Amino acid sequence: MSTVTTPPRATAPAPGAPGTQAAPARRLRWLLRLHRPALCVWTVLVVVLAALLLWLGGPLTDASAAAWNQYDACPTTGACGYDQEAILLYKDVSLYTSLTVLTLPFLVAMWAGASLIGRELESGTARLAWTQGVSPTRWLTAKLALPAALVTVGTALAALLNRLAWTAGLGRVDTAKPWYSIETFYASGPVVVAVALAGLAAGTLLGLLLRRSLAALVGSVCATAALWAGIFMALPHLWPTVTRVSSLREGPSGSGIGVAEGLLTADGDRLGIPRYCGSSIDPSCGALFDRLDAVSFYRDYHPASHYWPLQFVASGILLAVAVLLTVLTFRVLRHRTADHRGGLA
Amino acid sequence: MTADRGLIRTVLRLHRTALVVWTVFVLAAVAGLVWLNTVTVDSVRAALDRCPDNAPGFCGALWASLDYSEPTGWISTLMLYSFWAVAAWAGGSLIGRELESGTAQLAWTQAVTPLRWLAVKLALPALLIVLGGAVFVPVYRWAWSANRDLMGDDWTFNDVFAAHGPAVVAYGLCALAVGTLAGLLLRRSLPALGVAVAVMVVLNQYLEIHRADFWPTKTAPGRKEMPNDWWQQGDGHYHPPSHFWPLHLVETGILLTVTAVATAAAFWLLHRRTTGLPAPHAQQARPRATV
Repeated sequence: MSTVTTPPRATAPAPGAPGTQAAPARRLRWLLRLHRPALCVWTVLVVVLAALLLWLGGPLTDASAAAWNQYDACPTTGACGYDQEAILLYKDVSLYTSLTVLTLPFLVAMWAGASLIGRELESGTARLAWTQGVSPTRWLTAKLALPAALVTVGTALAALLNRLAWTAGLGRVDTAKPWYSIETFYASGPVVVAVALAGLAAGTLLGLLLRRSLAALVGSVCATAALWAGIFMALPHLWPTVTRVSSLREGPSGSGIGVAEGLLTADGDRLGIPRYCGSSIDPSCGALFDRLDAVSFYRDYHPASHYWPLQFVASGILLAVAVLLTVLTFRVLRHRTADHRGGLA
Repeated sequence: MTADRGLIRTVLRLHRTALVVWTVFVLAAVAGLVWLNTVTVDSVRAALDRCPDNAPGFCGALWASLDYSEPTGWISTLMLYSFWAVAAWAGGSLIGRELESGTAQLAWTQAVTPLRWLAVKLALPALLIVLGGAVFVPVYRWAWSANRDLMGDDWTFNDVFAAHGPAVVAYGLCALAVGTLAGLLLRRSLPALGVAVAVMVVLNQYLEIHRADFWPTKTAPGRKEMPNDWWQQGDGHYHPPSHFWPLHLVETGILLTVTAVATAAAFWLLHRRTTGLPAPHAQQARPRATV
């Protein structure tokens, strides 16, 4: 691969040189041609996913809601017929589509690390391109801009349709997931779009740093997993919580995204919950609470009204991470190509 | 003979990361099962002893059994679906990358015939998969039956079903063969990786859905209540636990047949592609799409 030498100044075409005007269009064509399989796969994936989500939000939700109506009208004893198939089909399709939306950032990062960047550096085609009047910075800009746009559109569409499907079943389908479940919260809001963009940036940086497609692929999967895990752990702390106090018998209550829970003593001190003691219904736990001088349970949590603030703050942080990683990528690229300029590529 | 030993050393050295990862994974899984059934189980039982029979009210310590059952379930699940990783590695790293970068073609000029190269590339990982299974399956069978009252699963669960016998090994071998064939067919690491994983996922889903059809069911007409360990198939049809081995062995047989066909196809393809080429000269890598 070191046989390709960089001719002096070839990386920076003179302004007004022939072909400069046509360059962006040509670059776009070249990019589309090189990554046509990926473009096809992404388009098919998004279209199929969108179709499934529309099916889920429309006919499947109606059938499942009707089945739940039948079930709820059943007498408490004796046999009762209801459309169990419809309920199960809704449940399966809803689970698998949500899981697919959650894996989109992984696919994006894997592709960016391995195919978009890693493979090009490994095989030397990137360095060849840099000798053909495309400066490394322009090369990377072209490589990132269109994928970023397509990833944003595709993921946002999937997230939006998933949210519409979830809203359609709200209050009608008894097994519909609550707003704070992972499938609903993370797969139907702007957060998944932001994770996908951060994954694209992380994959690009790893491809550039590792310069090998398979290593970058594995690294990108780990990076995306780290992004998901990081935002999952940080998210509850991104907005002030609400505290709810409940009786010792009731146990910690308040449904939503929980942050902390425990026992409150008569003096107002907060204690941790003893292992396996979530309520005084268990007499041995009741005796233990008495010994601890506990009078009630508390829970710090996010109610449904915190949905949008949490989504926006989390997305903002992830987009900042994406921008940071992109800036870092350009710096690494410039640093590396500056070293090589004039010498062996 | 020396050429073979050299080739084996080369393959082991080239793929040492995969070798280390696989060894650590199998040992960690086995160690986890031993730990769960010697250390964790004692603390869980101590917690459960706080819940006397017929005591008034609800006993919160009943949740303690989850500390035992959840990690146990995760270990068998990860071991079963490790074939995804095997397929990805075989298609991408073992074969696809070597053909893409031309190192395979280079090796074939160094007194290693293509067929021997492929034989070693397949035999070593296959041996490690079989060894891993030979260590894991007996330990898992012991661990799964040791504390039945703490577990909520039964023999029909996908991971439990496969990890109780040779099927879990057959999935790994099948993934290795399918990945190898994909790598040879596509000659590029990333497409081979994707295709190999996709084929194995589809095959596995097909087998999981149709698993119960591979052996005739028994019938118990008119019977309302069935024992918990019967695998009900509707209309009074069911599989008793004694059907485990026939069902398991038929599935293993299907997987090994696919493995054999894919392996034969891989050797045939390589043979057809490399015969007639002048042996001592470096063979040109397939021209790549230029910018």
